[in-house]
Amino acid sequence: MRERLGIKGKPRWALAIDARKCINCKACIVACKAENGVPLGKFRNRINEEHGGSYPHLRASFEPEQCHHCASPSCVRVCPTGASYQRDDGLVLVHANDCIGCGYCIIACPYDARYFNPETRVVDKCTMCVHRVDAGREPACAETCPSRVRLFGDLHDGEGSLRHTLDSRRSQVKKEQTGNHPQLYYLL
Amino acid sequence: MSRGVTRRRVLAGAAAAAATAALAPQLGCAPPARRRRAATPTEVRRVASACELCPNKCAVLAVVENGRVKKLDPNPLSPKSRGMLCARGNAAIKALYDPDRVKQPLIRAGARGEGKWRPVSWDEALDFTAERLHRIKEAHGPEAVLFSSTEGFQEEFFKNLGLAFGSPNILRHPTLCLASVNLAYSMTFGTVPSFDLLNARYVIMSGANRFESIITPDTMDLIEGAMNRKAKLVYLDPRFTVTAAKADEWYPIRPGTDLAFILALIHVIIEEQRYDKEFVATRCLGFDELAAHVQRYTPAWAAAETDIPAAAIVRIAREFADAAPRAVYYAGRRSSWYVNDFQMRRGQAILNAIVGNWDREGGVVPNSRIALGELLFLPWDDPTAERVDEIGTRFPLAAKGDGAFLQARENVLAGVPYPVKGWLVYKQDPMNALPDRGRTQRMIEAMDLVAVIDTQMSDTAHFADVVLPESMYLERTDPLHMLPGIWPVVVLRQQVVPPIYDTKPNLEIIQGLAKRLGLSEYFDYTIEEWIAEQAAELPVENPLEYLKQHGVYAPEGAPFYGKTLAPGYRFLTRSGKIELYSPRLAEVGHDPLPVYRPPTPIPAGSFRMVLGRKATHTHAATTNNVWLIEQTPTNHLWLHPEPAARLGIGDGDLVEVVSAVGAVRLPARVTPEIRPDCVFMLHGFGKKSPQLRLAHGNGACDADVLVTAWDAVSGNAAFHETVVTVRKVGKEDRRA
Repeated sequence: MRERLGIKGKPRWALAIDARKCINCKACIVACKAENGVPLGKFRNRINEEHGGSYPHLRASFEPEQCHHCASPSCVRVCPTGASYQRDDGLVLVHANDCIGCGYCIIACPYDARYFNPETRVVDKCTMCVHRVDAGREPACAETCPSRVRLFGDLHDGEGSLRHTLDSRRSQVKKEQTGNHPQLYYLL
Repeated sequence: MSRGVTRRRVLAGAAAAAATAALAPQLGCAPPARRRRAATPTEVRRVASACELCPNKCAVLAVVENGRVKKLDPNPLSPKSRGMLCARGNAAIKALYDPDRVKQPLIRAGARGEGKWRPVSWDEALDFTAERLHRIKEAHGPEAVLFSSTEGFQEEFFKNLGLAFGSPNILRHPTLCLASVNLAYSMTFGTVPSFDLLNARYVIMSGANRFESIITPDTMDLIEGAMNRKAKLVYLDPRFTVTAAKADEWYPIRPGTDLAFILALIHVIIEEQRYDKEFVATRCLGFDELAAHVQRYTPAWAAAETDIPAAAIVRIAREFADAAPRAVYYAGRRSSWYVNDFQMRRGQAILNAIVGNWDREGGVVPNSRIALGELLFLPWDDPTAERVDEIGTRFPLAAKGDGAFLQARENVLAGVPYPVKGWLVYKQDPMNALPDRGRTQRMIEAMDLVAVIDTQMSDTAHFADVVLPESMYLERTDPLHMLPGIWPVVVLRQQVVPPIYDTKPNLEIIQGLAKRLGLSEYFDYTIEEWIAEQAAELPVENPLEYLKQHGVYAPEGAPFYGKTLAPGYRFLTRSGKIELYSPRLAEVGHDPLPVYRPPTPIPAGSFRMVLGRKATHTHAATTNNVWLIEQTPTNHLWLHPEPAARLGIGDGDLVEVVSAVGAVRLPARVTPEIRPDCVFMLHGFGKKSPQLRLAHGNGACDADVLVTAWDAVSGNAAFHETVVTVRKVGKEDRRA
C-alpha cells in the first residue's frame, strides 16, 4: 500500500471530507469554476444530495465529491496515449497535449469525476488545484468552504492534521471494490 | 449547456462500438487538442477588498491577472467572515463581467416599462434628473421626492443627498427586513445584540434558516458548534430546510404560532423555578407581571396551537434553562413574517433574559465596536415637512430615520398627507422587495420622475425614467465600515480594477446631482479624504496603508464579555433595566407583555405562502449571474404530496398560484419537505426586465402574489400573511 501511495518521505496529497458539516451551499463548486476556468455546464466537483424519510421524520444529507486521486487509478491504466498520468505525490492529471479525447478514462472512472471540455476538446478533471498545491496552498474548494468540510493534507506527514484526523477518526472510501484504492476519505 | 460529451453519450457510443466490433474510439477522431497556450508571463496582483454580493461584507482577496479579475479568494484575516467565501462571493466575477450590465446612463425613450432606452452621456442624464427634481421641488416642495435605498457602503451619500435636498422621506430597507427584531431587542435590552453561536451549547431557532441564509459569523459558528462541539440545535420551520436537516430536532410548527411555543417555554421555566433568580432580581423589570402573564400559556395549550407535543415543549424548556447561560433563542434576520412579529421577537428576548444568558460566553451578547473617525461636512437644515409614512404617529417606537416602507407606499398611492412626485432609488429593487408588485407599479406610474442608481437593469430600473449606472463593487472604493459584533471588524472595500463601462461610484453620481441642484457645498470631499478621516484613529501604524494591504482591521485577543454586567450598569431602556414588562409599550397602546394572537386561519383547500432563502442567491439581485443560475436555475412551488394528490398535481407540472392580489405560474416541486398547509417559492425569479436575460421570465415572482400587511408596532412588512390557492394548468416542464 505504501508503494502505491507514492514515495516515502515525499508528500502524498489527499482530502478528507467531513460531509456532516456540508450545508450544500455550492461555494466549492463555484470557487473551482473560477480557479480552473471550468466551462459553463461543466463541473470538476459536485455535491451529492440524498433525501429520505417520510413527513415529519425526514432526513437529507449532502456529500461533496470530486476526483478521488486513487492510488491505482483506472483512468490512467486505460489511457491509450499516456495523457492521463499520476504524479509521485499522488495527483492524477491529464497532459492536455497528449489527450486525443477518446473518452476511455471518462468511462473507466468509477466516480464520474471526468468530463470532456468542449472548449479545449480534451478531457478535464479535478487537479486538486495542482498549481496552488505546488505553491504551498490548499485547493480552492477547501479554502473557500464556509463549514470547513474538506481537510487537505499530506498522508505521509505524521505530524500533519490530515494524518492526525484519519488516525483518530473513523473514515471510509467509496467503491473500494474497484481496486482503484481511492484516496478521498469520508469521515464518519 | 450540455453540448459536450456526457457520460451517458460516451457509454452509448462505447456500446455501439462493441456491437460492431469496431474498436475505433467514437471520439478518437477528434482533432488534436488545440491547446490554449498561456499568454507570456502575466502580471498578477492580489488586492484586498470586501464582497458586496450580499450584506455580510466578507473579506476577499482578488487575484487580478493582466487587468482581469480571475479569482476571489477568501481573506483569512476577517473574524467575521472566518476565512470563507460562499458561492455568491465566488460568483462576483460573473457579476462584474456580466454582458447584461448597464453600461452607460440611459434615458427612457418609449413608454414606462416598454424597454426602449436612449444611451446618453453622464452630463445629459444628470441634467435630466436634476432638472426634474428641481421642477418637483418648485411645484410640490422637497418632501415630494422619495429617496429609497437598501444597505450598502455608499448608502450614506445617497441618504445625505435626500436630506440636503430637504426631503424627510428617506426610506431604508429595515421595514422590509429586520425592523421588528431590532425594535424588540431595543425595547427589552436597549440594544440589538449578537448571538454567541461559537460557544453556545443549546440553540433554538424559529425559521432562521442559518445554513441556507448565510449570516457571518453565525452560519460558520453554528455548524462548528452543532457538528464539532455537539451543541444542540432545535429548529422550528414549516419547511424542511438544510438547517432542519442538520438540527437535532426539527418541528414543522404551524406557521405564525412561534409565540405560543415561546410563551409556554417561559411558563415552564418560571413554574419550575429554572430561571436565573439573581439576574432577574437585580437587572430585570417586571418579572412578577411576566410570571402572572404566562400562567395561562401552558404547554398543553401551546401544543394545540403549534403542533409541537407538550412533552417536547416541557423537555426543551428544561434543557434550555439547564444549558443557560450557554443557551440562546436565536433572533434571526429577516423577521418580517406576521402582523404580530414584534411581539413574537419580544417573547424571544424575554425568554433569553430570564435564563440570564445576557452578555456571557455562549449567550446573547451586546455588540462590541471599533471607533472610526468622521469627516466633518457642512450640515444642512433639517427637513421641515413631516414624513409621508407618518411614522411618528403611526409607529412612534420605530426608527424614524429608516421609515416604514409599506405605509409610505400606501400613503403615496392615496396622496396623503401630501403628493409625492419623484422617486430616487439606490441599489434597491422595490418591484421585487415589496409585496404586491401591482401596487408598486402603480406607485411608479404616479411619479413624475423615477431615477434608479444600480449596477444592473433591475425590475425597478426597467420601469424608471432614467438609469444611472453605478460601478460594480470590484470597480470602486467605498467608505470604511465597522461591522459591530462579538468580533467587531473594520473593512475596506477598495477598487480592484478600473470601471469596465461608463459607470461611476455612487458618491460621484450624488456629487453630479448635488452640483446641479446647488447642493455642492455639502459634498465637497473625495472618497479618499472621507476614508483617511475614518481610518485616522485606528490603533495601528499607518492605518490607511494597513487597511489597503490587509483589507480588514480587527483587534487581537479574545472577545470581551460582561461589560454590561458591571454593578450599577444602566441599560439603555427607560428604567435602566432589562424590561420584561415594558411601560413604554403600554404608554403607546401596545401590549406591554407579549400577548399571543393566533394567525388568521387558512381556509380549507388553501395554503399559506411562506418565504425563505437559498445560499446560492441574494434576494432578487443575483438571478442573472450565470454561475449562480447554474446552481439554482429557476424556482418551483414546493407542495406537499398529500394536497398535490388531492389537486392532481405531479412533480414538475405547471401550476397557477392565486392570491387576493395576483397570480403566477411556475413548475411544482412535490415534496414532503413542507407542511401540507403551506407552499413555498424562492424569491428573486420571474423578472420583468428583459435586459436581465437569464432572469427575465424565468420562474415566478413572489411579489406578484404577496399581499400587503405589516407588523403593528414596527411597521415591518409581514410577508407570511398571504393565503393562496393552487391549481394545475399544464404538464409543461419548464426545466426541459
